[in-house]
Amino acid sequence: MRVRVKFEKTGIMRYVGHLDLMRFFQKAVKRSELPIRYSEGFNPHQIMSFASPLGVGLTSVGEYMDIDLKSEVASVDGLSRLNENMVEGLAITSFKYLPDDAEKCMSAVTAASYVVTYKDTNDDACYIDNIADLKVKFFDEAHEINIVKKTKKGERELDLKPLIYRFNLEIVDGVPIYDLLLSSGSTDNIKPELVIKAFHEFIGLPEFDDLSLDIQRIDMFTGEPDSLISLGDIGDEH
Amino acid sequence: MKKLALSDDILMQIDKPARYIGNEFNSVKKNPADVDIRFAMCFPDVYEVGMSHLGIAILYDMLNKREDTYCERVYSPWPDLHNLMKERNIPLFALESQDAIRDFDFIGMTLQYEMCYTNILQILDLAQVSLLTAERKNDDPIVIVGGPCATNPEPIADFVDLVYVGEGETSYPKLLELYKEHKKAGFDRAAFLRAASKIPGIYVPSLYEVTYKESDSTIESFKPIYDDVPAVIERQVVKDMDSSSYPTKMLIPFVRAIQDRVVLEIQRGCIRGCRFCQAGMIYRPNREKSVDILKEQAKELLASTGHEEISLSSLSSSDYHALGELMDFLIDDCLSEGVNVSLPSLRIDAFSLDVMSKVQDVRKSSITFAPEAGSQRMRNVINKGLTVEDIIGGATLAFKGGWNKVKLYFMLGLPSETDEDMQAIPRLANDIAAAYYDTVPKEQRQGRCQITISTSFFVPKPFTPFQWAPMYEAGEYLRRAKVVNDEMKAQLNQKSLKYNWHHSDVTVLEGVFARGDRRLCPAILDAYKNGCFFDAWGDFFDFDKWLAAFEKNNISIDFYAYRQRDLDEILPWDFINCHVTKDFLKREWNNAMNAKVTPNCKMNCNGCGAGIIGSGVCHNAR
Ligand code: SF4
Repeated sequence: MRVRVKFEKTGIMRYVGHLDLMRFFQKAVKRSELPIRYSEGFNPHQIMSFASPLGVGLTSVGEYMDIDLKSEVASVDGLSRLNENMVEGLAITSFKYLPDDAEKCMSAVTAASYVVTYKDTNDDACYIDNIADLKVKFFDEAHEINIVKKTKKGERELDLKPLIYRFNLEIVDGVPIYDLLLSSGSTDNIKPELVIKAFHEFIGLPEFDDLSLDIQRIDMFTGEPDSLISLGDIGDEH
Repeated sequence: MKKLALSDDILMQIDKPARYIGNEFNSVKKNPADVDIRFAMCFPDVYEVGMSHLGIAILYDMLNKREDTYCERVYSPWPDLHNLMKERNIPLFALESQDAIRDFDFIGMTLQYEMCYTNILQILDLAQVSLLTAERKNDDPIVIVGGPCATNPEPIADFVDLVYVGEGETSYPKLLELYKEHKKAGFDRAAFLRAASKIPGIYVPSLYEVTYKESDSTIESFKPIYDDVPAVIERQVVKDMDSSSYPTKMLIPFVRAIQDRVVLEIQRGCIRGCRFCQAGMIYRPNREKSVDILKEQAKELLASTGHEEISLSSLSSSDYHALGELMDFLIDDCLSEGVNVSLPSLRIDAFSLDVMSKVQDVRKSSITFAPEAGSQRMRNVINKGLTVEDIIGGATLAFKGGWNKVKLYFMLGLPSETDEDMQAIPRLANDIAAAYYDTVPKEQRQGRCQITISTSFFVPKPFTPFQWAPMYEAGEYLRRAKVVNDEMKAQLNQKSLKYNWHHSDVTVLEGVFARGDRRLCPAILDAYKNGCFFDAWGDFFDFDKWLAAFEKNNISIDFYAYRQRDLDEILPWDFINCHVTKDFLKREWNNAMNAKVTPNCKMNCNGCGAGIIGSGVCHNAR
């Protein structure tokens, strides 16, 4: 039986990379003595998979991991046993049994939502008075948003418009806060930095440092753009 | 969120920021306001190396069991962070609290290898603590070092306040109590150091004076400045391994450490008496843990860490009295849950091959032999109790069991080594390859066998029978490697053989430090100031800078490394009583020169001196 575990990665845990996080969870699952299933073969490993990796420096309140169990554990139990084995900055928020036909979280992701702010309120972008109007021109009124995306194989032209499902901008205490819903997963994985960079260029701030942004992933979704469903809404507590 | 010593901006531009944030599972958190003593325990190398060290794990756990002490960890910042810390004047901090260690009571460092000496200076420099003990003030931390290199602490005598000689479990409680008393009474550094010098195993370099002979610049005298300071320092030894402090939890690093597994120490010391091996001498006598304690510790540690591998720590695992029982337990009770056992330092025989075939994939793994020398004469010189029959026999058994990869470790530049001894190395490898083709029928072979020869260069170490031996110049080491390489190409089975050798510049420097005296201190300081650190890492090692520092300070490499010492010379470490007597070492040196083998401690006591401690193999029935 497969369990979907939702967790948060916040605070200082932002400096721990994806591979290191996976190793942390392998040991945490082992310590929590959940009846996890191992793969067959000479070097058995836990059957465990993670949804889209989170880059170093980003935080998230919507991360997912699927694990296979040999026998059932009450969801409240599983949740608390895992939480006893977390560190500051990692917290388990749900433990749900998946239906048999559920797609693995690793391949299921089609979209992700983010909140993006500026680390430093002295950032040039915080001083653009009509930034909200510019955003409307950049996104709401645009038919296409063409950028050049650098890939491993070189550069390619890309139209961002159909891959940005939501681009809201709110000004709180004079500082812009972005609320984004972007195409994610294996085919068109759009990073929030890429979108903000394109916007920065549009508003005339071409010198862009993606480390100036504070990015938090809020959730991950599966399904088609018009009928997205949160990975955390699939399955039931037992 | 917990505060960090480094800003986000710095953490995002350096390699592996998770090295510097602490927060590891099982790390200890205390409120600094609740303790009397703050201790920064440091391994002067990069995080991944330091986090793998068992000694630190033992001391960290032991010190933190005390309510009055908060022990935190520090590792050497990698050069990328080093530069930023210097540039922005950020003081070095401890991982747990992220507080600057210059405000701590103690900075403790373990010295596992000589090449970390400049890293000691890096730690002090980044901590913003004076590099020289003479310049430290009352409110500076007490800098204390321990570990195997502390058996000759003289090359770093100017930099450290205290040296702990021997096993940390023994005298630390006394030292901390003394410190507390002095702190309460209004701390006076000089008075504390003087009082500390009377604790068994504690050496205070600044309280001793050395004079040198004009004729040959060897030591004329070495004595304490004051009458009440002991002239001889006794190495501290744990008598009962079962009751001695061992952690039930170990820290789980985020960044993958060198040892990503539970380490279970099964015994200390070694019965074998290889003449080149410092560990085999300075950890005498051999003391075993009981198998029941080990079973308990193994279970606890696996449960508290979630590691999927357990490794036995020992200088020679095969000699542990109940290895069979322990292995059965580990395989039956732990393997079923996806846990692996790794078994370093095993002698290859039917028993160990059987165990290995149960715990690892025969097709992927290789069999390791450390004959250390190619010819039987040379193996007798070094007292490696291993015959060619043992080696070929073991390899043949392994080939029958399905292995076809063999790794062989040797040393070059051993005392009295001739070209013939070196040529014996590839010939031995060739014979092993031949044994494969004789043993395994053609139709069962998975291609060729692979025999890998690795050689490192021998460095004479204090408290070994070879402590008087000369070394060679760097070029001579390369010539020796070439002799091996040429001979390898002449072997019938050369296509099955592969040869790797280590570089030699570092070897010479290691040799200088290993047997150095306090006259080296200014050169080490200059080398550090000129940018030498992380010398143990090939990429950063700059021999020319070292040569310049030696020249400036009139240090002759010849004197420290290449010279044959007289058996009666006063050696810089003679003031330490390691419990292995000089008479025994001399006897062993003479036996070496006559290629005479000395039996191991279980066969026969050879009266090395360690019997005086009253524990372990010397007192058990043979
Ligand atoms: S006293 Fe004898 S048995 Fe004990 S360590 Fe020395 S040689 Fe071995």
